[in-house]
Amino acid sequence: MSSRVLPDFELLMPKDLGEGLQLLSRHGSDVAIMAGGTDVLVMMKANYRSPYVMSLAGIGGLDHLDWAPETGLRVGALTTVDQIEQSGAVKQHYRALWQAATLFATPQIRNSATVIGNLLRASPAGDCSCAVLALGGTVVLESVDGRREVAIDDFWLDYNLTARRPDEIAVELRLPPPGKGTGSAFRRLTRTHEDLAKLNASARLDVDGKICRTARLAMGCVGPTTQRLPKCEAILVGKAIDEALLKTLDDVIQSEIAPIDDKRSTAEYRRAVAGVLLRRTISQALAD
Amino acid sequence: MKKCEITLTVNGEQLTTMVAANQTLLEVLRENLGMTETKYGCGTGECGACTVLLDGTKPILSCLTLAAAMDGRHITTAAGLARDGQLHPVQQAFVDESGIQCGFCTPGMVMKTVGILARTPNPSDEEIRHGLEGNICRCTGYAKIVSSVKRAAELMADQSAAE
Amino acid sequence: MTAYSTIGKSIPKIDVKEKVTGRALYAADLKMPGMLYGKIVRCLDHAHARVLKLDLSVAAKMPGVVKVLGPDDIKAHSYNTGVLDLMVPEPVGKMLGDIEDQTVFTKHVKHQGDAICGIIAHSEEAAERAAEKVIVEYEPLPVYLTAEESMQPDAVQFTSLKPGNRAFQLPGEMFPNNAYGWGNVDEAMAAADFVVEDTFYVPKQKQCQMEPHAYIALFDDGGRLQCWTSTQMPKCVHIKLARMFDLPMSRVTVTQTVIGGGFGARLGMIGEPLACAMAMAVPGRPVKVLYTREEDWIASESRHPGKYWMKIGFSKDGAPVAVDALFRSYKGGYYTQGSGVAFTTGSWLGGMYKWGSCRYHGETYYTNHAPCGAYRGYGNPQTNFVMEQLVERACSKLGVDPVEWRKKWHKGVGDDGWCPGVTYPSCALDECLDRGAAAIGWTEKRAKYANQTGVKRRGVGVSVMNHTSGAFPMLLEHTTCTARLNEDATAEIMLACSDMGQGAHTALQQIAAEALGFRFEDIHIKAGDSDSNGFDIGAHASRTIYVGGAAVKSACEDARKELFARAAQYLECTVEQLTMRDKIIYLEGASNRSISAQEICARGVYNFVDAASGQRTGIPGQIQGYSSFLPTSNSPPFAACFAEVEIDTETGELTLIELVNAHDVGKAIHPASVEGNLEGGAQQGMGFALTEEIYYDKNGLCLNNSFTDYKMLGPSDMPKLTTILVENPDPLGPFGAKSAGEAGIVAPIGAVANAVFHALGIQIIEAPITAEKILEAIKKNGGV
Ligand SMILES: Cc1cc2nc3c(=O)[nH]c(=O)nc-3n(C[C@H](O)[C@H](O)[C@H](O)COP(=O)(O)OP(=O)(O)OC[C@H]3O[C@@H](n4cnc5c(N)ncnc54)[C@H](O)[C@@H]3O)c2cc1C
Ligand code: FES
Ligand code: FES
Repeated sequence: MSSRVLPDFELLMPKDLGEGLQLLSRHGSDVAIMAGGTDVLVMMKANYRSPYVMSLAGIGGLDHLDWAPETGLRVGALTTVDQIEQSGAVKQHYRALWQAATLFATPQIRNSATVIGNLLRASPAGDCSCAVLALGGTVVLESVDGRREVAIDDFWLDYNLTARRPDEIAVELRLPPPGKGTGSAFRRLTRTHEDLAKLNASARLDVDGKICRTARLAMGCVGPTTQRLPKCEAILVGKAIDEALLKTLDDVIQSEIAPIDDKRSTAEYRRAVAGVLLRRTISQALAD
Repeated sequence: MKKCEITLTVNGEQLTTMVAANQTLLEVLRENLGMTETKYGCGTGECGACTVLLDGTKPILSCLTLAAAMDGRHITTAAGLARDGQLHPVQQAFVDESGIQCGFCTPGMVMKTVGILARTPNPSDEEIRHGLEGNICRCTGYAKIVSSVKRAAELMADQSAAE
Repeated sequence: MTAYSTIGKSIPKIDVKEKVTGRALYAADLKMPGMLYGKIVRCLDHAHARVLKLDLSVAAKMPGVVKVLGPDDIKAHSYNTGVLDLMVPEPVGKMLGDIEDQTVFTKHVKHQGDAICGIIAHSEEAAERAAEKVIVEYEPLPVYLTAEESMQPDAVQFTSLKPGNRAFQLPGEMFPNNAYGWGNVDEAMAAADFVVEDTFYVPKQKQCQMEPHAYIALFDDGGRLQCWTSTQMPKCVHIKLARMFDLPMSRVTVTQTVIGGGFGARLGMIGEPLACAMAMAVPGRPVKVLYTREEDWIASESRHPGKYWMKIGFSKDGAPVAVDALFRSYKGGYYTQGSGVAFTTGSWLGGMYKWGSCRYHGETYYTNHAPCGAYRGYGNPQTNFVMEQLVERACSKLGVDPVEWRKKWHKGVGDDGWCPGVTYPSCALDECLDRGAAAIGWTEKRAKYANQTGVKRRGVGVSVMNHTSGAFPMLLEHTTCTARLNEDATAEIMLACSDMGQGAHTALQQIAAEALGFRFEDIHIKAGDSDSNGFDIGAHASRTIYVGGAAVKSACEDARKELFARAAQYLECTVEQLTMRDKIIYLEGASNRSISAQEICARGVYNFVDAASGQRTGIPGQIQGYSSFLPTSNSPPFAACFAEVEIDTETGELTLIELVNAHDVGKAIHPASVEGNLEGGAQQGMGFALTEEIYYDKNGLCLNNSFTDYKMLGPSDMPKLTTILVENPDPLGPFGAKSAGEAGIVAPIGAVANAVFHALGIQIIEAPITAEKILEAIKKNGGV
């Protein structure tokens, strides 16, 4: 049962990144890193226990949101979902992420929750996660031994499991700049307006004239992690996307997903609407 | 660290208190500082009863905020909006529009309204409803809360015109 | 229409300022010197089990722990958290089969969340930490999640008092053949031109009042048990606690704190027995017990779910010649309101239409869910979902307009209400239907949406309801009120009626002001204190204004009568010659002769002996009006509701477009409160229809005991809401008022379901109507 009181833990409050990395190298997997805390604290009130909690709040310079046409978007570890929603650059160039941010949780949660926290939670229902997977990009991980970048495609290993090593902090998310004909979109199905997704989908399409050059399609809540839909992508690439082509995805997607019954919906329903949601998301990305 | 001393500015008053690492801001406000106007409705981020304002206009959930990480920050609660027995325009709007029934969601709703209007002084119905997500009310069906927010926008506009 | 000074005006409610600043004190906000914290240890991993071993020794040694308590440490009688036993004479209670099958801590776990033991500690945290150290060994028992399972002959018995695990069925001694109704249903059904019939499922809905349950209890040095609670029935809790702990009522005090919503959740007791049992173990120390939100789901009562079969026979002209129904509900682990809901579910059915004959069976079986009790509407939502969908099906077979059919066949003035033999004194349902239909654009939209194609489909639906204003004559109806006039001609109104946020105290204050002829600000309501308040059966059955208001009116009239009698003596005239304006009583026609109410009141209190004459200076005695009010009537409200929905036929998603709720309220004492109640009711009713249900895994463990997964309609999900108050003063209610507390939840349920039917031509017979169910139904139907 969830408790009104948080469990006992030691709170680590590093003043800078170096100190944080040092603490991690010492305590490693005994540390729960906390950004906005909207997942960590909820889990702790249920049954998650960790001897140490390390708050990133005291580390300066992690809440950046930088956009440049050549390099793309850089999202800091403390950059909140609200910052994404308020950003004109994100709205213009990374429509999928912006749409995910506006539909995400509640204003209070958006004020605290971070995009990187959403990626690190590694939940298949993560909304920003779904948009980020479609948009592509890399997560920058840093430890006392240095930095490395992991492509988002390789980032989630399983439910609640990422490529991050226990001594690493995710310091930044990098999204590539969009091309000339790039459009993206995010949609989700929920029980009520404010909810976790029973199904979410995101698409990034690079269209040249009428022809789709590249397609990145992502879907959540159909497997242990948010996932790409390579077969569906293959159908689109090199073709002009029209209603008839989209309709063929309804069948193709069935072999790419493995949804389950859970408290939010059923496997059967998810299968029945996966194609619909995907088609609509693609059409929305084309209109972007 | 298991315990530490923090200084919070709550409703304009500087208060120093010893907090445990695992204490939420909600517990510190209610238990350490006796400010029970901020309510526990769920403890898990869904209901908004515990909403307070960070730096005057930013609604956050005190049930999902560690107090120790709030050292030096400015917090506003519903009781702090009223000055010398005089209600804040947002509070007055909830009174005028009968946006209050059992009152348990009300402090959080008032905090949220300040947040909405700080960003959107003249919000549409849809903006109000979108902004109110995360504050559950089980009594009103939200109709009179939406009209309270509209009324609050008017009263705030009147007030800033007068200033 | 009568001109009233305050009635009918939406003046600011008396408690808004303390609520809008957050300074109103709910139970969890109270702190007392020397206060300890009690934590209830609950069984979380089993829904049905026997406790084989309970080891509290480690927990007892944890830092900060004052005392640990197991089932054997409790000296208290078994109890029933419900209150129906107090509302009927003992022989009737026996006949109904009301039992007391709950204990503070149990060795037979009947639902997840059942209480095993308690920890008392210096802090909440210490109590929680110690609770983690309690060692319990269980023997799992078979888990029954439906009546069909628990009624099996080899099923484990929940209590020896209820063989076969049937907690209740309508008793044959009161209801021949265990059925409520009239006429010969079998014959009428056989003779009907056509019938509609189905078995529906109605969900286990949770009240979700925003204030979690919280209590403080203290067994004080004077040997009195004190309990601070947000119950909506302080006097019933008063007597129940006294009986439980073998104390005279004069040794028990119940103090009602500000209530953060009720909706039935606080009807009777919840955690009071546990908090008090803990306090009894540490005399002199207040013990505070705070429930988590999750405990609200697993350890407090909800609506009764179950299977609801109904069959209605019609003649060609549309006459509903027979209705036959069986509601078999899943009781949960304890009896609580076992008899109540099983009965009323049928009574709302009987009271709605001019059924030629009617037969309703209501029964409830123990299951391994958190117990079911009272929830706004008390069976009416279940009936509305079923009855109104079947009526709709019949209208479509008959090819008649559903509004017209309802206008023709609903019961009205002079017809029997829900209790046969008690007729409706007023009914404005036709006006509700007319105004509601006009507001939503019924005729145009029904035609417009008749032949739709495309992915999105719209539909409009209608539903009607009747409810009650108090429970007369079925249950005890009694409110005692004292109206004491202060020496400055202001008044203290003392009664135990509850304000759960519905605005009752403001409306009662308006009634008092009107009845006394004083200003609204001259009145103060003193409620929620079992020591000073007389008897009141509590807030249930939408009775507070109708019965409590009548009690206030009667007590105030009593005080006013005395005031006028004294004025007549002072002015040497008859009472009939007097009128009062601005609290000055004038002798009509001779306006130079008058006396102020204040002078009469003051001279009654400061009644000095004149030194010169040795005589008293005026008429002695503080004026106090009194009423121990037992109503002799019941004026049920009616309502018509219209809903418009849009359905995405590819995803099954439903969008609420508009809801028009037209209510026959008699007279709205405080219109904004009435609207607010109806609007809040609409949110809950639409939730029943569309999203709300507590669900369990196959082991009976709750899957959605949080707002994360128990979804209620939020601000963006709510449709445009139009609330129409149809005011047609009732001849019997105080100032013409009928009830408006529960009613708002009911009719939106059928209206939304019928709008779905209109949009798709398909009925969904299991609530809530989720996207999953809609899509499946479309598929089964071979499309739309
Ligand atoms: C009421 C409510 C509604 C919600 N609604 C949604 C919703 O609509 N959609 C959705 O996707 N999610 C939702 N969430 C979940 C949650 O808000 C998001 O997952 C959020 O993005 C998490 O961010 P955070 O900063 O709060 O993460 P935290 O809770 O601080 O951390 C989340 C995880 O990431 C790890 N972590 C965080 N930052 C780092 C870092 N820099 N380096 C390494 N590890 C790190 C933490 O250790 C933890 O495992 C909701 C939560 C609540 C309480
Ligand atoms: S108490 Fe914080 S959101 Fe409910
Ligand atoms: S007024 Fe009761 S919850 Fe909003």
